[in-house]
Amino acid sequence: MPNKRKSSLVLVGHGSTLNPDSSAPTFQHADEIVRRGLFAEVYCSFWKEEPSLREVLQMVEGDDVYVVPNFISEGYFTEIVIPRELELVGPITHRSGKIIKYCEPVGNDPRMVDLLLHRAREAAPKVPLEKTSLLIVGHGTSLNEKSAEAAQSQARAIREKGIYAEVFEAYMEEAPFVADWRKNTSQPNVVVVPFFIADGLHSYQDIPVLLGIESAPTVAASQQEVFRRNPYRLDGRALYYASAIGTEPLMADVILDTIDRFDRKHLYDSAA
Amino acid sequence: MIRDELARLIQDGYNALGELEFAESSHGYFLYHSADRNLLSETRVYHSIEDARMIAKYDSSGAYRPLKGAPNLPRGWRIELTNVDELKRALDSFYPGAIGSWLAYQNGKAHPVCLRQTLNRQTGMYRVTRKLTDEQAQNLVQEACRSDSRCLRTILWGIEDSRPPDFLPSSKFDPTVDQTGQQRAALPFLCLEACNLLVAAARNTMKKSSR
Repeated sequence: MPNKRKSSLVLVGHGSTLNPDSSAPTFQHADEIVRRGLFAEVYCSFWKEEPSLREVLQMVEGDDVYVVPNFISEGYFTEIVIPRELELVGPITHRSGKIIKYCEPVGNDPRMVDLLLHRAREAAPKVPLEKTSLLIVGHGTSLNEKSAEAAQSQARAIREKGIYAEVFEAYMEEAPFVADWRKNTSQPNVVVVPFFIADGLHSYQDIPVLLGIESAPTVAASQQEVFRRNPYRLDGRALYYASAIGTEPLMADVILDTIDRFDRKHLYDSAA
Repeated sequence: MIRDELARLIQDGYNALGELEFAESSHGYFLYHSADRNLLSETRVYHSIEDARMIAKYDSSGAYRPLKGAPNLPRGWRIELTNVDELKRALDSFYPGAIGSWLAYQNGKAHPVCLRQTLNRQTGMYRVTRKLTDEQAQNLVQEACRSDSRCLRTILWGIEDSRPPDFLPSSKFDPTVDQTGQQRAALPFLCLEACNLLVAAARNTMKKSSR
């Protein structure tokens, strides 16, 4: 990627007032990018935590600012909330001597397919892939159809690679439902990867209950414990459950790719 | 640069922000909880920005601290940092944006945004907060933002534009007042606009009043 040592980076996460792990992946990826020394400065900002989207630009000292939403898909936050709070007018905003470049959400990056494959292999390193179903789990909601589309397009891209016996998307709140995994998959091994940015109530509790690997939504002593008991033996099948894809260390590279794609789309093209 | 401004402010005698105090040392700077001022030899020593972030994340009982301005930072630690840039980043981990906001405000680059303006631009689940009455708003802010138990920021916005928050004690909207009540040489810790927690609390008020 081109030299960005004179540029600033703002990673925007959702954050939470209840779940301390919600902002962790955003900080984790920011720390990794800081370690690589690629930008003059790197900040995180959140809708539900501090610094808020209203405050963060007062922290940024550079004039060339990339804003990358650490969100899994386009939707209400990337289209309405973030532009509104940062007072953006489009992909490029000029304000008070700064140029603010608003990138796509990280979940849009083509490299997400590689990350999902990597995470699935990590969760189930020894399963024969020709006898394994891969399930990409998204939230899915009637409020945001793009949330479901994101998981669907990842599943389609992985399916086309022909690596796993079968690849499906499943959702918590719309069909095909996670809870129907037994009838929707046919292989003796099933690997489940949540297509979420952070681990939280959905990946710790809701999805395990829907899968049938936890009986009730209780707070475990260590919430990470649910990812360490693989495989789960259910109805003669082996189920492997991975943590949220957004916690994958390679997400730092996805963020950098997202910036690179922004430049190619909005800067180099218009300069040509 | 903000770090240069911070170095100058320390030279001028400022040594506190919120519940924190900081000082120069032979190795750079160190940062600690003001209540540990006379117990520093008993504190556990840390060195990184990540440590600062983790300390700021939980209170002494281990409960998550979603509001960084809350006066419930845990005690018993000291962070040693090698230069003013690290000090700035550590302060930003405890009180995100506090120094940047104050400098921007001082330089006329940032201005308070009244509560009505914040609520009127809300959408989705927070749209309902547009209906908060002035009386409900005043009661809410008086309780949810109070310095003794909820948030140490100095509020500069009012309910309506061009009107100061005169429904609060005058000390709560005076940037020269140390909100911890210790009268230290504290950097102002400003609130230029209502945070999302207050907007969420406004939503709860509306839900309760509609029952």
